[in-house]
Amino acid sequence: MSLNLEAGRYVILGSVDGLLATLGIIVGVSVTTAQNSVIVSAAFGGAIALALTNGLGSYLAESTIEYGKLSITEKSLLRDLSDTYIESQTRRKIIRDAFSSGAASFIGSLVPISPYLFSVGSPIASVSLSLSSLVVLGVYAGYLSKRSYIISIIKMVGLGALIVIAVQLLRIGHLVR
Amino acid sequence: MSQIKRLVLDVLKPHEPTMIDVASAIGDIRNVDGVNMSLYEVDQQTENVKITVEGTDVDYDLVLRTIENLGGVVHSVDEIIAGKRIVEEEETLHDRG
Repeated sequence: MSLNLEAGRYVILGSVDGLLATLGIIVGVSVTTAQNSVIVSAAFGGAIALALTNGLGSYLAESTIEYGKLSITEKSLLRDLSDTYIESQTRRKIIRDAFSSGAASFIGSLVPISPYLFSVGSPIASVSLSLSSLVVLGVYAGYLSKRSYIISIIKMVGLGALIVIAVQLLRIGHLVR
Repeated sequence: MSQIKRLVLDVLKPHEPTMIDVASAIGDIRNVDGVNMSLYEVDQQTENVKITVEGTDVDYDLVLRTIENLGGVVHSVDEIIAGKRIVEEEETLHDRG
């Protein structure tokens, strides 16, 4: 169960990040152009960059924290834990979490891009699909936290709606025109 | 070298891997017939356990390597029984006093 929770943290973090940042790119770029190829290129660029930065960021953060925990255990045991089962498990956890984060981010990014890939692309389609996906993520978060599913869904969808509204209000696309 | 039949170890180990993992790993060692593991002290990062290993010809080095690989430290060998048969400790007049 703790393994599921740990992996779940990165699945939620990566998915939300990929989904909403890419949605922000699509909404922002669609203000300046209606050309699908431009929107898809910008969104894919963002998706790949996000997947890499999330994966690498998780790898660096997890390495720091997990090896820090290992060194606390080493101090308590008065021994070096290099090349032990514990160290190999630590390495596995770091790699698994980094991969979960990067992969979840990329998969999350594909959600708002997908309407454009099937030639039904419009910011409204991306927003609708993204908010629907956030409902699913909300259910998953509720399942993991054993809290109210409704509150988890409201939090997720509310966050998504807030980002869309913020990008729309700022009208960042107009600044680069 | 005569065969080790019983080995009692005082071990300091981290909370993870759990006692179940450690006991199973020792139980998988060849010639080990059974393992008893009991917890007698818990700290924030570590726990002290007493491990009793019985078998037909227990390989001490392999038991030690298994414990160390799982992050444990053997503090002391508290009891050892070796030879053709198990000889229990005899109570002496000194013990009775």
